[in-house]
Parts: sequence; structure tokens; C-alpha cells
Amino acid sequence: MSTLEVKDLHVEVQDGESGAVKEILKGVNLSMSTGEIHAIMGPNGTGKSTLSETIMGQSAYHVTQGDILLDGNSILDMPVDERARRGLFLAMQYPAEIPGVTNAEFLRAAINARRPKDDQISVMSFLKELDKNLDLLDMNEAMPERYLNEGFSGGEKKRNEILQLLMIKPAFALLDEIDSGLDIDALQVVAKGVNSMRGDNFGALIITHYQRLLNYIKPDVVHVMMGGRIVKTGGADLALKLEDEGYAGLRDEFGLDVDLVDEN
Amino acid sequence: MSQETMPLVADTVTKHDEPAWMIDKRRAAMDQMPTLKMPRVQRFDYRYWQMMPSTEIHWQSSSASLAQSDLDTTTAKADDQQISIVQVGQTTTQVKLPAELGQQGVLVMDLFDAMREYPELVKPHLMTNVIKTNETKLTSYHMAMLTSGIFVYVPRGVAVNQPIEAHIIQDSTKTDHPLISHVLIVAEAGSEFAFTQHLSTVGEAANIANCFVEIDAAEDSRVRFSSLDAFGPKTVTYFERRGLAANHANIDWAVGLLNDGNTIGNIDTNLLGEGAETDSKMIAITDGTARMGINNGVTNRGKHSVGNILQRGVLLGRSQLVFNGIGDIIHGASGAKAEQENRLLMMSNEARGNANPILLIDENDVLAGHAASVGQVDQQQLYYLMSRGIDRQQAQRLVIRGFLGVVLSAIPAKTVRQELITTIERKLTDEN
Repeated sequence: MSTLEVKDLHVEVQDGESGAVKEILKGVNLSMSTGEIHAIMGPNGTGKSTLSETIMGQSAYHVTQGDILLDGNSILDMPVDERARRGLFLAMQYPAEIPGVTNAEFLRAAINARRPKDDQISVMSFLKELDKNLDLLDMNEAMPERYLNEGFSGGEKKRNEILQLLMIKPAFALLDEIDSGLDIDALQVVAKGVNSMRGDNFGALIITHYQRLLNYIKPDVVHVMMGGRIVKTGGADLALKLEDEGYAGLRDEFGLDVDLVDEN
Repeated sequence: MSQETMPLVADTVTKHDEPAWMIDKRRAAMDQMPTLKMPRVQRFDYRYWQMMPSTEIHWQSSSASLAQSDLDTTTAKADDQQISIVQVGQTTTQVKLPAELGQQGVLVMDLFDAMREYPELVKPHLMTNVIKTNETKLTSYHMAMLTSGIFVYVPRGVAVNQPIEAHIIQDSTKTDHPLISHVLIVAEAGSEFAFTQHLSTVGEAANIANCFVEIDAAEDSRVRFSSLDAFGPKTVTYFERRGLAANHANIDWAVGLLNDGNTIGNIDTNLLGEGAETDSKMIAITDGTARMGINNGVTNRGKHSVGNILQRGVLLGRSQLVFNGIGDIIHGASGAKAEQENRLLMMSNEARGNANPILLIDENDVLAGHAASVGQVDQQQLYYLMSRGIDRQQAQRLVIRGFLGVVLSAIPAKTVRQELITTIERKLTDEN
């Protein structure tokens, strides 16, 4: 069993244009183990993506206080690639396009990066695994030979993130708005992919602001994030309650002093 | 260049048993040299480079064994359909041409043998139509001092299915041994073939390479030229690669410039004929302290002629790379099209790069466009790759591969493409 712990995490970012430093996360606490699916819900601009990018190690986000522990060890000093090799995976909201590098080539490089030099994956087992997962995700057979995300539609990119998840088999997956821009069929396919990973050796943190995705991937724990903190943690029913009452309702119920970005 | 050296040149070439017209051509070139200027590469200064080290010709033979390591690593298993020619220094060490092609009149041979055996084919084409000896000091130097060469002739209507492969190996096991080489390619009407050259250096001596390619493409012919340039770090290179395309002729260039040393060069296609086309693709990688200045041009003269230039360069270390894309549309070339795209990727803060589109358009009824950029590795791309566990070095290599991919994937010969990828990977690995 692996564990991922976020302790009193404070994170700043510098605005690219004005240069102003802004604190986005203001003391996030979160603890999860493999075998569990957690969901983080929250309104726009509340720091959900900041949390996932900071856990992954995107250099634009500066940790000013607190810690992130993987199996009890701090990962704050590790570069992105090392965090990945230790079991973290971030399905991105806006994956980069890399022309000239095929999906298949990229996937093999990613798998082999986790294996010792003298034990690289064989072409046969790679292709077998790839075919199985393409089939599961209802993806076109031509996909592996296409350049990585280049010219992919929004839905294709999301599926491709899930394909990578299935091929790489991380201990923890952070899924950042994996449902945005998906029609219901694509959403079901993505959910099927994530559900196929469920088990004792896999945990997921699903970031979403709609409850819709959680109809298909049932979470064990739901966290509500507002104003840079987790303000409420509960079971799957918390998501349903949110769907009914909205974030403003929750805020008022708890008497939270938080501005909601979309509120007028 | 003093006049006193003239008799010496004449004397040394007489001993080489060259036809009188060739000696006259050398002499004329030598005479006009003092009046000519050095070739110009915009935004690139090479005035302190020694490009004309000697005005004496030394005929020396090189051993075929020097070619071995090169051939072992680059040529696929020989088969009886293979067409190839290997030259080490001034010596042609191997020629393979299937008998049936010989019977059809195809020639692949040493240029000096061709001057003696087929003067009627060589004389009208050698530095007359495509490159002229009196263009610059270096074109006349080339003519005067020429000491090695390849002649390729494909008769009217003949299509050659296998690529014609040339290995040109600079012999720098000797000092004072410049490589002055000329590849003359004559494509008669309706012929079709591919020519691939591999340039490399053996030995450690500092020598120049002065290498010309002329492609004279008659109407309706189609010539696909590819080159992998990989001269050594102590070689200072000057190249001219020029094509002349008659009506509906087509000349395609795919060039991988991976020289370790200083290089200037000029690629240009003169689209003389109506509907003539060229597609010029180039990749360059510079590293260490190497400096490279390249002109890649197309001249549209013929109506409805089409020229495309696509270039990608990667700069490592403290190197310098200048790409000039030169599109010249001559008055009267109505319906012509000229497109170019020049992009540089800077992998180091200490490297210097320029991508300059230069368009000279003297005709209204044309379609012309250009794009140029100089940029750094995309951090988003690196982050994405690394977030999947790929380390920084490999992620960078993949991003570079991606950057070059649009040109790489357009290179028709699979073996050249693979060889290019291997050489690029080696250069990038060495750098890290």
C-alpha cells in the first residue's frame, strides 16, 4: 500500500504579466492511500488545479509552507520526472502537443523510464498491452502512430491521457478536469478506463467541478475546496448535496469567508 | 593569388592526363580569380576563414581501407542491384552499377574518367549552365583546383529504381590535402532517379572541403537529391549545391547538415522552365564552437514554377547558425509560387542564431509566403514528457526530434532518414 499526504500546504504563483505574487493554496491537508478514490470539488479559481500541479512538481508553483509526502517521504525536492517514476501521474487538463514524436514511441519511453536499463519492455508485450487498452478505451488503431496529441480533438486528448494512465500504471493518478469538454459517451469511456484501474495498488484524486463524472467513477471520499483550503470532507453523498445546493449554499451553511469567482 | 603559380598548375594537370579543354577551363578560372569576390552569406562573417589554402594541385592516392568503417556503419548489406560509388580523397575506390542499367546508358563513375571517356557528355555540363566559374573567387578556385568528382548520367526516359549512393570520404590522414570535389548530375528528358550522398572525414588533420553539386535537369525529369553531411571538427567546409530545372522538371533536396566544423554553403534551384518545381528541405545541427552560415534559395523564372523551402536548425553549445531563405521571383514568372519556412531551436543561452527570409519579387501574379522563428525549447512540452517519468535529457531529445520531425518525415529515403536520426541522437547525446 502506498500513501500520499499533503500537509498544511501553502503555494504561491507569480503572475506572468504583472509579476505580482499571489498565494493560492492556504493550508491544504489531505491524506489518501492506494485502494481509494478521492474527489476534490470546488468552484473555479479555488486552487484545485494548483494542488494537482504542485503535487506533480510544475516549477511555476512555489511551496512556501507545508509538505507533500509519498509513502512518508517528502517529494518537494524531487524533479517532476522522479516524482513520476515514484508513482505519481497527472492527467492534464491541457496536454502539450508534440509533433514528430509518435504516441507509441512516447508511451514506450515512459514505460521504460520506470524499468531498469537491462529490463526494457519487449515490443511484443508492449503491443499486446497497447492493443488491449486501445480496445478498452474504444480508440482508433491509428492512434499510436499519430504524433503525440497533435491535432487531437479535446475528447481524443482526454482519452489519450487515460490511455497513458492505463499503460503506465501509476500508484496515484491525479485527474485534473478530465471530464471537461467531454460528451456523455466519451465521459463513459474515460470512466471505464479509470474504473479498470481500481484495486489495492491504485489510488486516484479526481478534480472536477461537476458531480456528473462521479456518477460514473464512484468516489470513496469527497473533499470540497474553497478559497485555497479543503473546507469539508465526506462520502459520495457530499457530491450530491453540492449538486443540489451549489457552492454558495455550502459556504453559507458553514459560514465561510470566501469569495466565489463566478458569483455576482 | 599570384600569376606565378599558373605554370605550376598547368604542369601538374598535364601529368594527370586531362583533356585540353579541361586544362583550358582550369587556366581561365585561375586567371579570373583575382578579379572576383568571395561569395556572400547574409548576416554571416567568415572573412578570416582560410578557404583557399593552396594553389598547387597535389595528386595523391588514398587507400580504400579508409572507407571501411564508414561503409560498415552506413550501407545496408550489398545486393546486386545496389548502385554506389565510393571515393576516398581523390581516389575512387569502388563503383557498383548493375549491368542492365549500364546497357541502358546510365553512368555512375569518376568524373575524371568521364572527362576522358565521355567528353561529349561532361564538357557541355561541367560548370557551364548551372554553376559558372566566374561567379565568385571560390567558384573559380574550385574549377582551377578540382581534384575529385563523380559523374552521374541518366539518359532520356530512363527511370532508376534504386537510389544512387555516393560515399565521399575526406582523407584527413594527410595534411595539406584539401578535398575539392564535384558531383555532376545530368538528368536527360523524362528521366527519374534519386541520388544520395554521405560526406565524412577520416583522420585528424585540418583541411578544407570545397564540394560542389550541379544538377542539370532536362524537361520532365525528376531528381531527388539527399545528402548527409558529417565532416569532422577540423574541416572547414564550403559547398555549392545547385540545380537547373527545365520545363516541368522537378528537383528535390533533402539535406542533413551535421558537420562538426565551420561551414558555409549555398543551395539554390533555378526554376528556368515552365512548371518546374523544387522542394528544398534541410536540417542543421551545430554544436561546440562551430559556425554555420547557409543560403537556401529558389529562383522562379518559369511561369507556374513552384519552389518550397523548409528548414529546421538546432543550436547547441556556443555555436552559431544562420539560415537565409532566399526567394527570387523574376519578372515574367507569372503564376509562380514560392513558400519558405525557416525555424531555429536554441538549446543553449550561449548559441547565436538567425533565420532570415529574403524575398525578391519582381512579378505581380505570384503566390509567395514565408515564416521564420528563433525559439527555445517549449517548457510545457518538457514538463509534459517529464511528468510521465522521462528524464530531462531524453525529454529534450524527444522535443528536438519533434521539432525536426516535419522535415525528417519528408525525407523520402528511409535509410537516409534513419541514418540522420542516428547521427542527430549521437550529437545530442555527446552534448549532454
